[in-house]
Amino acid sequence: MAISEKPILLLILISLAVVFSGAESDRVAELLSLQSRSKSGVIHLDDHSLSRFLTSTTTPRPYSILIFFDATQLHDKPELNLQGLRSEFGLLASSFISNNKDSPSASKLFFCDIEFKESQSSFAQFGITSLPHIRLVGPDVKSLKDSEQMEQGDISRMADSMSDFVESRTKLSVGPIKRPPMFSKKQLGFFVAAFLVWAPFVVKKVLAGQTLLHDSKIWLGSAVFVYFFSVSGTMHNIIRKMPMFLADRNDPSKLIFFYQGSGMQLGAEGFAIGFLYTIVGLLLAFVTHVLVRVKNVTVQRVIMLFALFISFLAVKKVVSLDNWKTGYGIHAFWPSSWN
Amino acid sequence: MTMIAITTHFVPRGQQGSRYPIRSCQSLTRPSMAASEDSNQSKIRTVFGSVLSFFILILIGVLAFSIRLFSVIKYESVIHEFDPYFNYRVTQFLTKNGIYDFWNWFDDRTWYPLGRVIGGTVYPGLTLTAGSIWWLLNSLNIPLSVETVCVFTAPIFSANAAWATYLLTKEVKGTGAGLTAAALLAMVPSYISRSVAGSYDNEAVAIFALIFTFYLYIKTLNTGSLFYATLNAITYFYMVCSWGGYTFIINLIPMHVLLCIVTGRYSSRLYIAYAPLVVLGTLLAALVPVVGFNAVMTSEHFASFLVSSVGTMILPSNFVVNFSLQVFIIIHVVALVYYIKGILSPKMFKVAVTLVVSVGLVVCCAVVAVLIALVASSPTKGWSGRSLSLLDPTYASKYIPIIASVSEHQPPTWPSYFMDINVLAFLVPAGIVACFLPLSDASSFVVLYIVTSVYFSGVMVRLMLVLAPAACILSGIALSEAFDVLTRSIKFQLPGLPENSQIDVSLILFMLLTIKAGDTTSSSVVTQNDAAKTNKNEDTLKERPSRKNRKKEKEHVEKTSIKSQIKKRLLVLPLEASVAAIFLLVLLGAFYVVHCVWAAAEAYSAPSIVLTSHSHDGLHVFDDFREAYAWLRHNTEVDDKVSFLHVYLSVVCLIFLNLFLHGIMVWNCSCILIVFTLLEL
Repeated sequence: MAISEKPILLLILISLAVVFSGAESDRVAELLSLQSRSKSGVIHLDDHSLSRFLTSTTTPRPYSILIFFDATQLHDKPELNLQGLRSEFGLLASSFISNNKDSPSASKLFFCDIEFKESQSSFAQFGITSLPHIRLVGPDVKSLKDSEQMEQGDISRMADSMSDFVESRTKLSVGPIKRPPMFSKKQLGFFVAAFLVWAPFVVKKVLAGQTLLHDSKIWLGSAVFVYFFSVSGTMHNIIRKMPMFLADRNDPSKLIFFYQGSGMQLGAEGFAIGFLYTIVGLLLAFVTHVLVRVKNVTVQRVIMLFALFISFLAVKKVVSLDNWKTGYGIHAFWPSSWN
Repeated sequence: MTMIAITTHFVPRGQQGSRYPIRSCQSLTRPSMAASEDSNQSKIRTVFGSVLSFFILILIGVLAFSIRLFSVIKYESVIHEFDPYFNYRVTQFLTKNGIYDFWNWFDDRTWYPLGRVIGGTVYPGLTLTAGSIWWLLNSLNIPLSVETVCVFTAPIFSANAAWATYLLTKEVKGTGAGLTAAALLAMVPSYISRSVAGSYDNEAVAIFALIFTFYLYIKTLNTGSLFYATLNAITYFYMVCSWGGYTFIINLIPMHVLLCIVTGRYSSRLYIAYAPLVVLGTLLAALVPVVGFNAVMTSEHFASFLVSSVGTMILPSNFVVNFSLQVFIIIHVVALVYYIKGILSPKMFKVAVTLVVSVGLVVCCAVVAVLIALVASSPTKGWSGRSLSLLDPTYASKYIPIIASVSEHQPPTWPSYFMDINVLAFLVPAGIVACFLPLSDASSFVVLYIVTSVYFSGVMVRLMLVLAPAACILSGIALSEAFDVLTRSIKFQLPGLPENSQIDVSLILFMLLTIKAGDTTSSSVVTQNDAAKTNKNEDTLKERPSRKNRKKEKEHVEKTSIKSQIKKRLLVLPLEASVAAIFLLVLLGAFYVVHCVWAAAEAYSAPSIVLTSHSHDGLHVFDDFREAYAWLRHNTEVDDKVSFLHVYLSVVCLIFLNLFLHGIMVWNCSCILIVFTLLEL
């Protein structure tokens, strides 16, 4: 009968809605429990759980999901910095969770990661072609390919820029990023105790003038070491994170130690040249100050010849390496009337 | 026996090895013909040495000036690059309107519509220097234009810098080292790059001020004279006027003072060298409008780390005074300690020390406990490690991208060292070792200078300029010591040497004395040759200054001579090896000269305003910039506003035109946005 159909339809609709919302709150509860079980609050997804939480749900979902795409085989490529980004992502997640503990937005955003080897089809569903990749799947997004991608600029300042991205897209506040302090409380306590025990001895030694600091050889060694360290361009290697050596592109079994081109240098190259710089100076100092005190003339002669030979070779090597690397041709300017 | 034997006369070695020039030598012997002859000889040698040094210094000055003239010869006497044009414009204004107008100048024609307070944002040293040179020359009726004076300021001051290096190194190790260091600095490519004729920039004058300040500091440290201390403060003021790099001086000198205190070398000379500099220098530095209160407040520079990081946790951040004032307080504490030590008897002093140390430890523990409480209560606000970032080379690239992007701020690779200081990179370690044997206050300062400058030059290639003088000083010391040993080896081992005949009988008696004293090592060397060698030994002893103490010191002299006889021999190397070594060192020096001339001619002498290219039909000169400005001048009104994308071009333009200009300045992002929108980029 027409009149009794509508309430039944209504009942069916309401019960469906209740079932679905029950299903939805089930999902949220499941996500929450997964989150509490996982390290730093980042849920690990695979194909099955992705479909459960994202693809086979209806929009609008009560939550958004921020996914970090990872691939273990690419972890050792330093230029991608996947492990660093992953740990920053984890910091972001744990800060969000701890800052939003009692607020309703705790269940509105979930942080997940997904690995390539386990879930290749999910990667295909998102249309991922390169890493690092972070995607935000909003509540209204139907097809996974339409999810918002975090740009390079949003990843550049690590967790700070990631939190800005999250706040601007989801309108949820992440709060301040809580980074772990450099030393834990136990370590600090230990240091303080050690310092207190050590302090009286140090003071006594300083007054007596016998500490390490008073030995001029230590200063000499450290001065020469700092010189060696700087002159080999180690700062450049640290700042630019240059490797010690590269594999030859044409022949992967060979290693390149010296890079041709004046803008860059490799680690081993820098240290080799720094060593050559320092050794010539130290040999000269040795000959001037130590060798003169040796009594045996033959020993003096042999050592001096050795020192001269090594220094000559070292200087020649550095000069030729410099010409090869930079391509400059240093030449003298003779008067043109001599030509 | 001993009475007869005391006929030592000390032949002075000349100027090397002593810190103060030996003006005359006086012989202590009984007046004898040989003695007066020798003293005459040594006087002649000293005088000859001084005259020779003078001429060498003049030649070094000429060398420094002329190696920087390549661009004037290749192109014309024009100011290079783009930034110096700003300084040139300011100098023009100064010469036209006088110093009071310059000091209060508000320029409404740059950075339109904001304008720029020139008096308060520019380092006045360079412009005032060039302006005074121009004024002086004009008052002597030598009508040079402002542009000529500006172009040639840099070479003149590099000659001055070479002379200052001579003075500084002479204070550390003696005249020979000084001359070598000066010759090296005159040519070092790193300095040439910033002081070539036409490079009218702050560094041209500032490096001279830097070296001269260091020289006066060392001089005060060596002599303890307040006169030099005051001169030091005034020169420091000149440095503050010239360049932002004055922070290097005001951090390095306190570090050295701290180092001296920690290694037990405190003395009243140290106090006189440091305290007047801080007081007068800080007061004078605060007078410069650009610096103002930065002279006193926390400086973001390398030496403040530990103490100010602790301080910032306790006090508001702008309350912490900078490093030089912290050391000022420390040196007063140390002076007080020494003063008390002098007053009290040793026992009382020990009691006082234990009391103070125990009280100090209690206070220290309390402070540490407070700190721990602070750190524990707010883990993120604790030691954020920001202070470590001053030492951390990757700080700028992570947090301040716009500074990290400047090409001068990139870290250098090893070819940069080879290009900029060339052969000196090989010699510096030898210089460091030579400074430690023996270690004095001055040589410890030089070692500290090289270590800090080489570290910071490793972080930023622009700071190689600060490394250059240090490298020259140390290489000069190393070369001088090496030449000393090698030439000594050759001189005293040449075959057929007439000096063997100059045996002093008294010295043989000395030898017999030593045999009697029971030392067996020197007993085997009682021969004629060795007598000549021991003649040389006397050279290494210091000379006695006056006749009055002759009697008192006779015994003392005797004893030291005996000891020195026992311990010292002629310190030489084999002859042929020495000849080979000298030859190789000369070759190294020749390579250095060739490289420097090449670098000056090819690499560092391009005025970026004018470009050239070589083609099959000769040399093409592109003068596009100046032609463009000339076109603008003819085709625009005086009050037109011109917008430039590249700020430096706008600066150059101002010289040729008198327009309102709107360039992109780094610290006003909204202006940048407007310009980009205008140009629809």
